[in-house]
Amino acid sequence: MADVNLSEAEKTFILHSVQDNFRDDGRSCEDFRHMEIETGLISNTNGSARVRLASTDVLVGVKVQLSPVDPENPEVGRMEFFLDCSANATPEFEGRGGEELASEITALLTRAYGCPSTMDYPSLCVLPGQQCWLLYVDILLLECGGNLFDAMSLAVKAALFNTKVPNVTMTKDEGGIELDVSDDPYDFKRLDVTGAPLVVTVNKIGHFHVVDASEKEEACSLARIMLGVTQTGTITAMKKEGSGSLDADSISDMMESAKKVGVLLNKSLLKALGEEEEQGTEAVGFLR
Amino acid sequence: MPTDTRRIQGPETSNSPYDFCPTATSDPALLEKQRLDGRDSAQMRPLFLRAGVISQARGSAYIEMNQTKAICAVYGPREVQRREDFSLKGQLTCQFRFATFASQHRRQHQQGNQEKDLSVQMLEALEPAVCLHKYPKSQINVYVTVLQHDGSVLSAGILCASLALASAGVEMYDLVIASSAAMYNDLTISDPTVQEEQAVLSRVGKGSSGMLTVAFMPSINQVSAITSDGGIQFDTLNKTVRTVIDNCQKLYPVLQQTLVKHIEEKKKGISSK
Amino acid sequence: MAGMELLSDQGFRMDGRKSNELRRIRFKKGVFNQADGSAYLEQGNTKVLAAVYGPHEIRGSKSKALHDRVLINCQYSMATFSTQDRKRRPRGDRKSQEMTSHLKQTFDAVVLTELYPKTQLDIYVEVLQSDGGNYCASVNAATLALMDAGIPMKDYVIACAGSFTRETPIIDINHLEESSGGAEVIMAILPRCDQIVFLEMNSRLHEDHLSAVMDHVMAGCKDIFNVLNQQVREELVRRTVQDSLVDSG
Repeated sequence: MADVNLSEAEKTFILHSVQDNFRDDGRSCEDFRHMEIETGLISNTNGSARVRLASTDVLVGVKVQLSPVDPENPEVGRMEFFLDCSANATPEFEGRGGEELASEITALLTRAYGCPSTMDYPSLCVLPGQQCWLLYVDILLLECGGNLFDAMSLAVKAALFNTKVPNVTMTKDEGGIELDVSDDPYDFKRLDVTGAPLVVTVNKIGHFHVVDASEKEEACSLARIMLGVTQTGTITAMKKEGSGSLDADSISDMMESAKKVGVLLNKSLLKALGEEEEQGTEAVGFLR
Repeated sequence: MPTDTRRIQGPETSNSPYDFCPTATSDPALLEKQRLDGRDSAQMRPLFLRAGVISQARGSAYIEMNQTKAICAVYGPREVQRREDFSLKGQLTCQFRFATFASQHRRQHQQGNQEKDLSVQMLEALEPAVCLHKYPKSQINVYVTVLQHDGSVLSAGILCASLALASAGVEMYDLVIASSAAMYNDLTISDPTVQEEQAVLSRVGKGSSGMLTVAFMPSINQVSAITSDGGIQFDTLNKTVRTVIDNCQKLYPVLQQTLVKHIEEKKKGISSK
Repeated sequence: MAGMELLSDQGFRMDGRKSNELRRIRFKKGVFNQADGSAYLEQGNTKVLAAVYGPHEIRGSKSKALHDRVLINCQYSMATFSTQDRKRRPRGDRKSQEMTSHLKQTFDAVVLTELYPKTQLDIYVEVLQSDGGNYCASVNAATLALMDAGIPMKDYVIACAGSFTRETPIIDINHLEESSGGAEVIMAILPRCDQIVFLEMNSRLHEDHLSAVMDHVMAGCKDIFNVLNQQVREELVRRTVQDSLVDSG
């Protein structure tokens, strides 16, 4: 991430602005920045989405593949996350520079979606005990502008909403059961993402906390909590990050904020995705 | 993943026999009546701690929580390896490893994703406690190895590591105490064993079912790390956080006593020479 | 595949183009704010993003610095979802390394390197969707990104790929035509100077046909140049008019 060097005066300014609930771009402590979401950009994938949250740009592609089941859970489908920090975002991500950040974010997303109630995993099982659908969720980070976790979880949820899983027909042969994946682009089933979580990051600045911190605000904050919140307010994952420590009371305040914001965010995302699908316009992508 | 050619690998496809035997309690509803080891839901396992177990390391500690066993070694403060890493604050690195024989299924000897994740979480828990500004241009390395995994490994690792750091003489603001709890619907189970953990995490929660670990510094009343897994209702989570923090307070005197005993023994050892 | 030929009897290819027709090209400069220069280019179904950082101080070991020229550092990376079969690693494999060195070779010849001694220029290319002509789209996108960053160059660098089937040279080949096993000629040129910066040929081609294919590919490059140049100039004129309106109040 581009290192933001702030002077003491700038840090104090941001601290005071958060105290007055009026941040340096005019938002209140619980407001998100301007967000643009678009789905269906990449035709090679089964589902894709692009999220632009101020200057953070994330592109997600979902590809499905038939694969053998996990022996510990033979009746459900699986999901695997992979994050590639592109060097387009900052030269430090060249080669293997972005791997640490990538493993951190992938770990949190895997935990957030690991809870069985988030997605309809049993419906992704094709042949119980043998074959299931494995969803490869590939995230490409194109530009860093603060608040990466939230933008990525939004893009992942949008891409999963957009994903079309082809239908499979099973024919019984003497050699066993043969699976035939449909080639028809209109023969698919959609995924149910109403239970999917969104990650909300709450940064502690001074004695108060903010949601959706910009890069400057992140540089002033020593500790943050990330919560995976679903539409019903269930928490699927929680993680504290940063070299500072938190008071027990601030933690419950921050969790309360995050839950409130998370529930609203989930609702607005699904509404926006529904509207986009109704309009049915061709994806513009980066050309705008 | 690249395989190690120096070791004799087993056959390509082999299954552990434990996959085929029916697991005793995969139903957490049974837990509501009685836990397997006879504790009630708020009772924690007895703790055995010992400092100064590895003579070569600067500081070390060993912890046993019934069947969960872990050992930690601290090296440093020593010079950073790369001269370009100059910084006025010291560096703290943590490495969390499971021994290959630690769980029911044999693990790979290379660090997997889970271990990397736990290492990061442990670093988050310990970093706020150590006075890193007192060690410029230096690094402090913490290595935790879990010898036997029977639940609450992250808590055991953090407890062990903070005791090891203290016995190494590294300056800290406070000892870090960690504790875990599992939640199932309205029931909160303190200090879960591995069977209880797995039972809770594999349920499709109609209520809550998840795990929570909190690392706490009692004398300054600050939480240094908090992580949760599984789908949990918000109010249950809030309540459980309070419960776990209380559990941490209860464990604090144990660590203090172990540390005092260790220092007295050292003093005796020095004065007898 | 029976009955599926690259060039039909009427002279149409699989996607309906004639043998010397290009795919639809759309692009946008200045897609990202944080990079010094960036561009997004679509050539048919191949979508490429390029970003340029620099010239800035050499990162890492100072011994790599060249005392009289700028050091051009390229990275070619493909998104894991860009190909039909999912790619395991976006970069680091041999194919990507080869592409990286091709790009570096191409731009070393074009950028006025003597103007920025002891500095480094980073060109990062990310392929979002791959449908043939990856190198060509990357070069074209990188040219636009360099222009967006304001790096002085001798000329545009335009690349195009061509093949030979049923006695006809075809240009701007897509993935299906690339993988059919026919010869592939990839060329990057400076269109206004008529100079070839990069030339590569794969598979087998009879020497009698080589010059015909090369001429066609060069004509294809010049066509791409016309398309890009026209839009770039239009944007420039529009922006100058806007600025002059602002100045005059």
